[in-house]
Amino acid sequence: MTNTDELKKKLGTKEEITWCPGCKNFLILEAVKKALAKLISEGYKHENLAMATGIGCHQKIYDYININGIYGLHGRVIPTAYGMKLGNPNLTVIGFAGDGDAYAEGMEHFIHAGRFNFDMTYIVADNQNFALTTGQATPTSQQGYKNKAEPLGEFNKPFNPIKLALACGMSFIARCDPRDINHTAEIIERAIKHKGFAYIEMMQHCLAFNIETNEEDRIMYKVDNKDGMKKAMELADEWDYNSKNGKIPIGIIYQENRKTQEDEWPQLKKLVEKKVGWKNFKK
Amino acid sequence: MRFNILIGGRAGQGINKVSQIVSDILTKHGYFTFNYRDYPSLIRGGHNFNVLSISDKRVGSYESELDGIIAMDEKTLLLHKNELKKNGFIIDFKEFENLGRNLNIALAGALIKIFGIEKAILVERIKQEFNNKEALDAAEKGFNKKEKKFELKKLKNNIVRMSGSQGVAEGAVNSKIDLYLSYPMTPATAVMHELAAKQIENNLVVFQPENEIAVANAGLGASFAGAKTMIGSSGGGYDLMTEALSMQGISEIPLVVYLASRPGPGTGIPTYSTQADLDVALRGGHGEFPRIVIAPGDPIECIEKTNEAFYLSEKYGALSIILSDKHLAESEFSTDRKPNKILNLEIKRKIPGEGIVKASSYEHDEFGNTTEIPAIAKKNADDRTKKYEKIKEESEKFQMIKTYGNKNAKNLIIGWGSTKTAILDAIDSIDESIENPSKGNWKFLQVLYMKPMSDEIKKEIEKADKVILIEQNVTGQLGRLIREKTGIKIKNRILKYDGKPFASDELKNDLLKIK
Ligand SMILES: Cc1ncc(C[n+]2csc(CCOP(=O)(O)OP(=O)(O)O)c2C)c(N)n1
Ligand code: SF4
Ligand SMILES: [Mg+2]
Repeated sequence: MTNTDELKKKLGTKEEITWCPGCKNFLILEAVKKALAKLISEGYKHENLAMATGIGCHQKIYDYININGIYGLHGRVIPTAYGMKLGNPNLTVIGFAGDGDAYAEGMEHFIHAGRFNFDMTYIVADNQNFALTTGQATPTSQQGYKNKAEPLGEFNKPFNPIKLALACGMSFIARCDPRDINHTAEIIERAIKHKGFAYIEMMQHCLAFNIETNEEDRIMYKVDNKDGMKKAMELADEWDYNSKNGKIPIGIIYQENRKTQEDEWPQLKKLVEKKVGWKNFKK
Repeated sequence: MRFNILIGGRAGQGINKVSQIVSDILTKHGYFTFNYRDYPSLIRGGHNFNVLSISDKRVGSYESELDGIIAMDEKTLLLHKNELKKNGFIIDFKEFENLGRNLNIALAGALIKIFGIEKAILVERIKQEFNNKEALDAAEKGFNKKEKKFELKKLKNNIVRMSGSQGVAEGAVNSKIDLYLSYPMTPATAVMHELAAKQIENNLVVFQPENEIAVANAGLGASFAGAKTMIGSSGGGYDLMTEALSMQGISEIPLVVYLASRPGPGTGIPTYSTQADLDVALRGGHGEFPRIVIAPGDPIECIEKTNEAFYLSEKYGALSIILSDKHLAESEFSTDRKPNKILNLEIKRKIPGEGIVKASSYEHDEFGNTTEIPAIAKKNADDRTKKYEKIKEESEKFQMIKTYGNKNAKNLIIGWGSTKTAILDAIDSIDESIENPSKGNWKFLQVLYMKPMSDEIKKEIEKADKVILIEQNVTGQLGRLIREKTGIKIKNRILKYDGKPFASDELKNDLLKIK
């Protein structure tokens, strides 16, 4: 076994996995472990890794990765996670949310996350439905999607979370296809290394509900945008979450370096300098 | 000796400055002051007033009849002249011309003269803050305008002035708070301002998240990571937090909540005061889990009880709620009592960075991993109940209730929170039971710990002949709680719920009416 394989094993748990067989959440789990193992091998401290999760199928990852974490409330991943950063800015914090979680219940947090620019990562497993509550439409479900709550089909146009993230000033925006584990792991690694709020829209098509979205991978292609905002907007506009046509860019859509929230506070900078959280800071 | 002076004007004119200058001089002179602030929810214009109560003895309320009025605008006399006693005095803005911004200084100067305090003391105070010729001239003009009416001799009391908000902030700093999270909402906001102003010197962070839901969830995140954390809000903002408070119950991440209530339901009358949120403090949040609800009744108790709230919350992984209201939060009290010794609180639990730690809103096993096994669910629920018993035991070390007045008196008043000082003033104005307990016929039982609740309350009620409940709400929420705990229904109730705190003279009359 290589060093990273061993590290990956340490990142696993013995908990029984309860996702549907073949669910893309398995692939996300694998990619996350791969990225974290690599980061640990590069010197990130395992005990300083922490996650916050919402409620939905996606959040079960809480039981399956052996790192610090809060299994939080539906929609509240972002404040739970940035709270951890306020509590100890030396932690490497990753938030795991679903599309219902991030774009419906917790949208107010999403909108402000770019402005605050806490140094953390936010991974949204977007399966274009509320899976754990049996498939109702979310803000990214396509029009016409028939579900138990809307037998007449979803009337509302989906919104485009990538465009929204750009408008909200997020400093790192990417989209991933978990089928490509290596690419996904690489993007997660870059997101964690990014200084500031890093958002990944993870196309986690579900096998039980809104299954037609599984065809979206046919129109996906890779990008790594280094040409700034204008190009990013163009990339975001290439797919509207509604049609089966167009192109779906996968990869880094936007990245900029700017001061993080933690950089602004002299009090937090002291904790970073001394490499301690509040608990071990002498007043 | 007691004076009640009303200072009225438009918002933005500086009535608070008049109260402040006069209170500074009088407390230094050895007199107790109490400043009640009455203002509508607007920034400029309207009608604001303060009632400044002054006494040679402890005072913590205002009276409905005024000894003097200071009018900074026309409306003040129009609205309040009928509250003035027969021989009361008026200091009218019309007596002064061309003073501009310094009008308030002149009015303060005039009052100091009326009280018979030396000009040098006034000048010294004005110099301290302004030290410019216009301000000093204004003070002198005011002083010279009026005749001495009283002779306030210097007294030997050593007095500090403080609002409830300052008390809560001081209690938090004494507890070595690391993080305060809040979204602006009257009357909780003042604590955010207090802590923010001194955050660098005290080494703490005051952060304003996007809304109260974020406040509460970020509070849990931060506390989980090892920060001593308090969050604060009022009515509607607290309502938004309650899902996260419930999560506190199962995750057992320590959390201190400052709840400064204001009259609801809905937006209610945001800048006025009632005690209508005891129920929601006791029960807000789904599921069954332990919590601590403490209601201080004056700023020194705010210091002490905030410290106890932090201590208990950290030690037991519990939710502590400090319950205040607009009257306590924003009125300025004076006292010569020093707070109790500070409780030292240590974070003993393991935090991220010291190993792998998990906390969950889902039912979980000892490692924090999700479980739905009935036996574990039951055990966890039982453990939460046992934890509450331990909290109750430890709380008994602190003052869960206080009694004042004659121990053997047959008339027992029960109340809580901001009504405390008005009740003490009302009792003293009847027969000085508080000042001279042995001679009086009255006893006051103040409940500070609403949850857990002291078993002594039942015994006190059983000893009394006449029991009177005083609260600032419609339904007598403490009364209902006592009935739930003791089975005793308190029939005599004085309830006020128009947004205005009790005036001690009116309260006295209400008390005497009860046969
Ligand atoms: C406040 C609140 N509202 C509703 C729910 C019920 N609920 C549980 S999971 C879920 C849907 C989750 O959807 P999504 O975030 O897309 O996750 P998925 O299951 O699709 O991975 C909902 C609405 C809840 N737990 N809390
Ligand atoms: S319902 Fe969908 S998202 Fe949930 S586990 Fe099954 S396949 Fe995965
Ligand atoms: Mg979903």
